[in-house]
Amino acid sequence: MSTHLFAACGQKDDSAVEPSPQSAASDRSEQEIALTTEIPREHREGTPQPIKMHNLEKVATDAPVLIVPKETALLSAGKNVTGSDDFPIIGELSYITDGDKEAGEGYFVELLDGLQWVQIDLDKAARIGAVWIWHYHLEARAYHDVIVQLSNDPEFKEGVTTIFNNDYDNSARTGKGSDRPYVETRFGKLIDAKNTEARYVRLYSNGNTSGDMNHYIEVEVFGIVR
Amino acid sequence: MNDPIHINRRSFLKSSATAGLTLGMPTILKSNPLKTASDEIRIGLIGCGAQQEVLYDTMKNIPGIRFVAACDIMMEGRLKKMVGRIRSAFGYRINHYSDAETMLEKEGKHMDAVFVATPDFWHAPHTVMALEAGCHVYCEKMMSDTLEGARSMVAAMDRTGQLCQIGHQRRSNPRYLYVLNELIRKQQICGQIVNVNGQWNRSLGSSSEKTYPEKNIHHLPDAATLRQYGFNRNISRLLDETELRKRFLNWRFYKALSGGPISDLGAHQIDIFNWFLDARPKSVQASGGRSYFDDREHFDNVMCLFDYDTPQGNARAFYQVLTTTSAGGGYYESFMGTQGTINISEREAYTKIYKESWVPSAEWRRLVDKGFLKKVSAGRPSGSPDAIASYESAPPDEYAIPGGIGLNSPYHHHIQNFFQAIRGQAKLNCDACHALESEAPIYWVNQAAETNETITFTDEHLRT
Repeated sequence: MSTHLFAACGQKDDSAVEPSPQSAASDRSEQEIALTTEIPREHREGTPQPIKMHNLEKVATDAPVLIVPKETALLSAGKNVTGSDDFPIIGELSYITDGDKEAGEGYFVELLDGLQWVQIDLDKAARIGAVWIWHYHLEARAYHDVIVQLSNDPEFKEGVTTIFNNDYDNSARTGKGSDRPYVETRFGKLIDAKNTEARYVRLYSNGNTSGDMNHYIEVEVFGIVR
Repeated sequence: MNDPIHINRRSFLKSSATAGLTLGMPTILKSNPLKTASDEIRIGLIGCGAQQEVLYDTMKNIPGIRFVAACDIMMEGRLKKMVGRIRSAFGYRINHYSDAETMLEKEGKHMDAVFVATPDFWHAPHTVMALEAGCHVYCEKMMSDTLEGARSMVAAMDRTGQLCQIGHQRRSNPRYLYVLNELIRKQQICGQIVNVNGQWNRSLGSSSEKTYPEKNIHHLPDAATLRQYGFNRNISRLLDETELRKRFLNWRFYKALSGGPISDLGAHQIDIFNWFLDARPKSVQASGGRSYFDDREHFDNVMCLFDYDTPQGNARAFYQVLTTTSAGGGYYESFMGTQGTINISEREAYTKIYKESWVPSAEWRRLVDKGFLKKVSAGRPSGSPDAIASYESAPPDEYAIPGGIGLNSPYHHHIQNFFQAIRGQAKLNCDACHALESEAPIYWVNQAAETNETITFTDEHLRT
C-alpha cells in the first residue's frame, strides 16, 4: 500500500491558542493543508502516438496542488471496486485501490472498449475532498469522456454530484462537461470534490487516444469520515 | 549454454542456414488461399507484448482482415490480453499458443500473414519459420540482433517467394514520402545535401528498468520456459528465475538478446539517412559509453559518423542516441543542404524547413504559390549584442509542409502497404532485402564504438 503524505501548507504556529477576529485568516490556514500523495517514478515506453483532442490541457510537469482540511485522510485504500466490466481483459478491479501506482505491465487493469465505469465503495459516507486518478501513464495519452461522480446511491440514480466531466460532446449521455481533456502523466489527475457528502465514487471513461480500451492503475479518494 | 538460441523441443531451427533444409521449399498448401483482392486476410500474431499491441491497435481499424491465432510465452499476461481484445473488438475467439512453432504447424495453412513482434534475437527464427510455413511476414525492426540473422530472413524470403515487410514504418509515411519525392528529389529545395544529422534523445524515465508487481509475478514465464526460449543465451551458468525474468522484461539491456539503443532507436533513423541519400555509407566511426547506466551491457549513449559518396557528392551523417536526457529537440532527422535544410520527424511538431539566406526568395515563393510549401516566418536575427555580425550568416527563413500531413497512427500506412501487397495491389515499401541494404551499416556501429576504430565498409560488410 502506498504511503499517503500530508505536507503542511506553511508553518503551523502552535503558540496561537486564543482565536481572535484578526487572526481568522491564519486560523483558516492552520486548519488546512496541501494534499500530497506518493507520486510514482517516471516510466515511459514506446513511440508516442499522436494526441489529437480539442482543448487539451497543457501536460503536467509537477504534482498538482489542492488545499484540504487537515483532517483529510485516504479513504479508498483496499476498498471494494466494482465496474461495468466484471471480467477485465487483464488485471483485476482490486488493483485500483491497492496503492500501487507504477506504470507498466502487471500494474493496471484493462476494461473493455466503449464507455465503461468503475465504482469504489468507501463503506460509509464521508465528506469527500478530492479524487486522484491514474489511468495509465506508461505513454502520453488522453482518455475520452472522463467523468467522475459521487453519490450515496450505489445505483447512481439519485443524489448524484458530478465533480469532473470532460465529455465535450455528450457522447457518454450524462450531459456535456466543461472540464478539459488531459494527458496522462505519473502525477495523475487531482480533482477537487468540494467536500461533497457521498459513499460511492464512480468513474467513467471511453477509450483513449492510443486505443479503444479503458485502464486504471490507481484511484485515491480523500475525505473526512464524520 | 552457448548455443545461439536454444529454440524448442525439436530444435526446429538450429541455425538460420539450415532453415530451408528443415522444412524444404514452401510446400505447405493453404486450405483456402487468398484468391481475390477482396478476400479477408487471415492473420497470426507472434509475440503479444507492447509493440504487437501497437500494431494490433492500428491494423484492427483496417477493413478486410481476420485474426486467426496468437502466441506468446507469457500466456497469463500478454496472450490473455490480446485474445480478450480481439474478442472484444470482433466478437470471435482466436486460437492461442505458447509456442510459435506449434502455432505455425497447426494454423499456418489457415493464415495468410503473420506479424512478428518478439525480442530482437527471435525475429529471424520466427520470420524464417513463418515464411517456411507459407505465410507472408511483417516483422518489427531491427531485423535481427545479428547480421547473419537478418541475412537468413532475406534468404528465406527469396527461397519461399513469400512477402516479408520490415517495420521501418517511416518508409510508408506520407510526410516522409512527400519530403523525399517532391521536395528533395523533384523540387531539389536542399540543393546538394552535404550533411545529415539525426538524433533520438530520451530521458531516464524512458530508459528505466522494467519491474513486475510481486503480487502478479506468477504471470511471468518460469525459469524452465525462459531457458527454453533463449533467455539464458550465451551465459555459461544457469541463471535463476529472478535473473531470467529480469532479462525477459528488459531484454534490450543485454548483448545476447538485442543490439542496444543504436538498434532500438537508431535503426529507424539511420535507415532514413540511407534511403534519402540513395547511398550506402563508405565508413563508420563511432563512440559510445556507459555514461549513466554503468551496470548495463550496451552503451547508454552512442554517437556515430557515416561518410557517404552520394549521387550529388560527398556527405557525412552524424547520429546520436541518448538514453539519459531528452533535451535537445527530441527525435528527428535533419537533411542539411547548400540551399535549404529539412528537419523531419514522425512528430509533426519537429518537422521544419529552412531556406538559406543567399537563395533568392522568389524561387521559394514560387513553391509557396504552387502549394508545395508554406511560409512560417522570416529569419530572425538573434539581436544579442554578443553576436559578431560579420562572422555570422544571416538567419534562414522558416517554412513548413502545407496541411501538415498528419497521421493518426505512424504505423497505419506501412501495414496498409503490406496488406495491399498481399492482395497484389502494391509493392512492399520495405521488403527484407531493401531493409537489410539500409540496416547493414547499423550492425557495425557497436563494434566501431567498442574498438574506437573506423570501419571502412566492403561488400562483405554490407552484403544482403
